[in-house]
Amino acid sequence: MANVLDLRRRIRSVKNTRQITKAMKMVSAAKLRRAQERALAARPYAKMITSVLESLTRRIDIFDPETGNLRHPLFATRPEKRVLLIVVSGDKGFAGAFNANILKTAFQFIGGNPDKQIDIEAVGRKGRDQMRRHYPSAINQEQTDDNGHTVKIRDRKAPVEVTGDHPGMLLKLENSRVFELAQSVISRYVHEEIDAAYIVYNEFKSVIQQRLVVEKLLPLLKIGIPQITGAVEPTEEERERAAEAALSAGILLEPVDTAAADEEAKKFGTAEVDYIYEEPAEELFNGLLPQYVSSMLYHAMTESVAAEHAARMTAMDSATNNASDMIDSLTLLMNRVRQAAITKEIIEIVSGAAALQ
Amino acid sequence: MADKSNQLRVRLVTPERTLFEHAAVAVELPAKSGYMEVLYGAAPLMAELGAGDVTVHGGAEGEPGGSESMTRYNVSWGFVEVLPDRVTILASDALKPEEIDVPRAEQQLDRGHKEWNEAGDSEEAYDNALRVIAEAEAKLATAAEKH
Repeated sequence: MANVLDLRRRIRSVKNTRQITKAMKMVSAAKLRRAQERALAARPYAKMITSVLESLTRRIDIFDPETGNLRHPLFATRPEKRVLLIVVSGDKGFAGAFNANILKTAFQFIGGNPDKQIDIEAVGRKGRDQMRRHYPSAINQEQTDDNGHTVKIRDRKAPVEVTGDHPGMLLKLENSRVFELAQSVISRYVHEEIDAAYIVYNEFKSVIQQRLVVEKLLPLLKIGIPQITGAVEPTEEERERAAEAALSAGILLEPVDTAAADEEAKKFGTAEVDYIYEEPAEELFNGLLPQYVSSMLYHAMTESVAAEHAARMTAMDSATNNASDMIDSLTLLMNRVRQAAITKEIIEIVSGAAALQ
Repeated sequence: MADKSNQLRVRLVTPERTLFEHAAVAVELPAKSGYMEVLYGAAPLMAELGAGDVTVHGGAEGEPGGSESMTRYNVSWGFVEVLPDRVTILASDALKPEEIDVPRAEQQLDRGHKEWNEAGDSEEAYDNALRVIAEAEAKLATAAEKH
């Protein structure tokens, strides 16, 4: 049986661990709060872009009379043969099953489309590492064409390849970098290198309202309506755990009411007046579309960051609880051992005294 | 429109947050086809913004009308909606003059020139390079004016 000294040492060590997990939980809670604020601050812009695009589609003649579709390359649907998948995972571990779940969904998506060529853009370090391990990187060969210009030619070797990664993008979420990514996705789509673009990320409305979604970014069908093609809801048990952790860290469970601000933002570009358009409306529309795609990406990333912090907070809350349970049971064991030793000593003294009589 | 002060409500919104929201007497905007100034009662207008300065005249927070204050932001690319009593600016990027990173803007300018030289026959590459150059030049101009 373990002796008292060993047990005491063990308890001290678990207590130290509990201190650390508790601190990590509080840090995550603070970061979650900030991420939620950032997601909230980004709402007006996204809403405004959406509403002005919506109103422009109603006002101007950019529909193709033959097909009834919008006359813009981003609205053109083609049979999906080459697909781009943007995987938004976390940068760090210690977040429970957060990264594993995202990767599982991504692998399911890849596995479910065996006859397509899939390009992967990995955002977040954990996802990148895993994707790199499973799939080769895309190779671009530079060749000189007849006019003496260098052209990059894609040399595809495997059906699934990683075309790019964006380390550190989530660490300091900046719109300019997200916009660059959006532009690269758009240009690939317009040049028909890809036929569709999907994004896998963790949607986060509040601690108890979150799910893993696969969302179709391109082609656009209708402005303002996300095309969710797959979603994984958390289990009831996971949700309860998350709610418990959030309560103990002082995080609001319900999403903040944004109805008034949303209404205000919706008015952008939709007033019942005849606008003077500085540029032809079609040009305006074309200029706004990349911003719209970029704002969808930015939205996905802010939510994913919030979800990552929430997952870490929940995981660390569980770890803290487990440590407390362990300390309790170890303390009980230690007391029992100590009591046993005392009892043994008393018996020895008593029996020694009895032997002397 | 019985607005007592004849003031515009100006909002500057970036993808990250709402940067600025209060009353003003006039706003100067860097539209794509040149600067324009908007006063109270302007005709409804939609325009694409280029790179340049948004200048908001008068009406700082708390003291509507009286103030002679002027707030400047460097914005690059975006859209603006003008209504008689309201101006909403959607900018891809907006900075205060003192926030501009001059060495970085200079680097950006060099990069733009390099892209411009390498653009070859591609119209798209030219356009991109021109955008980068315009953005960098606008930033440098704003930063220089401050001193």
